[in-house]
Amino acid sequence: MEIYLPIAGMSINFFLVIGIGGLVGFLSGLFGVGGGFLLTPLMMMIGIPPAVAAASDSNQIVAAASSGAFAHWRLGNVDFKMGLVILAGGITGGTIGVQLVKVLRAVGNFEFVMKVVYVLMLGLVGGAMFIESLRTIRRSKSSGGAAAATAGEPKLARLFTKMPLKMHFHRSGLHTSAIFPFSIGTLVGVMAALLGVGGGFIMVPAMIYIIGMPTIAAIGTDLFQIVLTSANVTLQQAFVNKTVDLLLALLLLGGSTIGAQFGAMAGKRLKGEQIRILLAIIVLALTVKIFLDLVITPSDLVSLAPAKGGGH
Amino acid sequence: MRRTAILILALGLGCLWAAEAPAVAPEAQQKVVTAASKNLIEIGLSYHGDRIYFFGVNPVPGADVVVKLTAEKEEAIKLSVKGRVGPFWMTVKQYEVTGAPFIYKIHTSKPLDQIVSPETAQELELGYVAVRQKMKLHLIRGDAAPDDADKVFKGLVKIKEQANLYNIVEDPKRLEVAEGQLFKHYFRFPAAATEGRYLVESYCFKDGQLVGYGKDVIQMQKVGLEHWLTQTSQNQPVFFGILAVVIAMGAGLLVGVIFRKGGHH
Repeated sequence: MEIYLPIAGMSINFFLVIGIGGLVGFLSGLFGVGGGFLLTPLMMMIGIPPAVAAASDSNQIVAAASSGAFAHWRLGNVDFKMGLVILAGGITGGTIGVQLVKVLRAVGNFEFVMKVVYVLMLGLVGGAMFIESLRTIRRSKSSGGAAAATAGEPKLARLFTKMPLKMHFHRSGLHTSAIFPFSIGTLVGVMAALLGVGGGFIMVPAMIYIIGMPTIAAIGTDLFQIVLTSANVTLQQAFVNKTVDLLLALLLLGGSTIGAQFGAMAGKRLKGEQIRILLAIIVLALTVKIFLDLVITPSDLVSLAPAKGGGH
Repeated sequence: MRRTAILILALGLGCLWAAEAPAVAPEAQQKVVTAASKNLIEIGLSYHGDRIYFFGVNPVPGADVVVKLTAEKEEAIKLSVKGRVGPFWMTVKQYEVTGAPFIYKIHTSKPLDQIVSPETAQELELGYVAVRQKMKLHLIRGDAAPDDADKVFKGLVKIKEQANLYNIVEDPKRLEVAEGQLFKHYFRFPAAATEGRYLVESYCFKDGQLVGYGKDVIQMQKVGLEHWLTQTSQNQPVFFGILAVVIAMGAGLLVGVIFRKGGHH
């Protein structure tokens, strides 16, 4: 069954789009990542113009994340205060990041820089997460489980409890400096703009390993702030680039909102370290793929360049 | 009103005539009577390309027939050329291509080079060589190399052929000429072909000389929801953006509520 997408200007298989949406939605609910880092490349793979893919993905992420955030909020996993502090940082960082992208574009080869940053970032995050969760699983096996569930407070987090502007984050059970989550938000905001993704896959590990939040609270809180950031991006894309394909977004969110619910449920049944090792595997697989893109001889040396003002 | 329009049209044509002064003037030839199975393609929700049948009468029995499909609009395309830098493949230069047709399809009753001379083909823009002559390359970034023009052109044709926007079929089975007089064939408008006006031009050649010319215009337009979405997103972006966000949030929360009622928690 084919359906014509008005803004993308192409027809596409209905079930293919719903299926991709469902898969990404499931991962989004499970890991608390927006899924943008998977969805944009997948959309481009099936022939959607990059600018339309990126803008419409932001739109559907609003839906997937609000569905996921709602589910996590009911389960009591959202730390609103932490979310707002991170969001403030994220908006600051995003603004800086967009300017940085402009400069890089002018210099040339933005795409190459983006891919190299991707490989380094994802490789680092994925690798660290993989090793850590493997260690946790081994430890919990040898010591019989429950005792090793809390991995212990990270050293960096302890340092930050000594900084000024202290705030109490009730849900996360943290009493720490607000400077810290704010700067994490800023850093991730820059990254997100640079890589053209929501940034959940950097944010969640950062919240767990650097801020020291419990895994499940990190996921819930991240989803909450993703709703607001992606809504902002959707509006910007609609105003400036006019590349939001509402029909495409609706199809994607039809699949993804349902997928996200199943993801959140699956997340409840899995242990924190199991979720982390799964996310690590996906991130590492993506790293390898992008790295291969950089070194394998492309089948077509000449390709269509992304349209002006497209993407992020 | 109508008379003025005709006058303006005639003047316009006159100007064109004076400006280009083509050696081979298609409009001056005997008219090839043609008919299309339809002249309007509506792009609705289930549009996935369309096929239009064309019929025509050869003014000179036994003449060779060449039919060309082009779009009225031309587009400026940016193409990236990758090259090796150390172990990595990266974009080393970019070209802007202008004057390349958005769509370019040709059907002929026998190989084009057996029908017309290269000069005539060039004049009437028949064949890839002619397309290439008309196309202009603009280096935007990087260093030019002597074989760039060739590489970029081949790359562009490949991209277009993959999208079924360019092709040349020189096959009497594809373009049948019954008894040397009545010809029939069809053009497939791929899903990538979007709104606009498309020209189907029929040329008849006898011994390399143009002896007949006919033209059909196919209009393609979005209808219903497709039309509304396109218009709103382009003309009322603020309303459209807010609508998109509200719908997305609503759908997300709705699914959340439905799942709660399902009693999984």
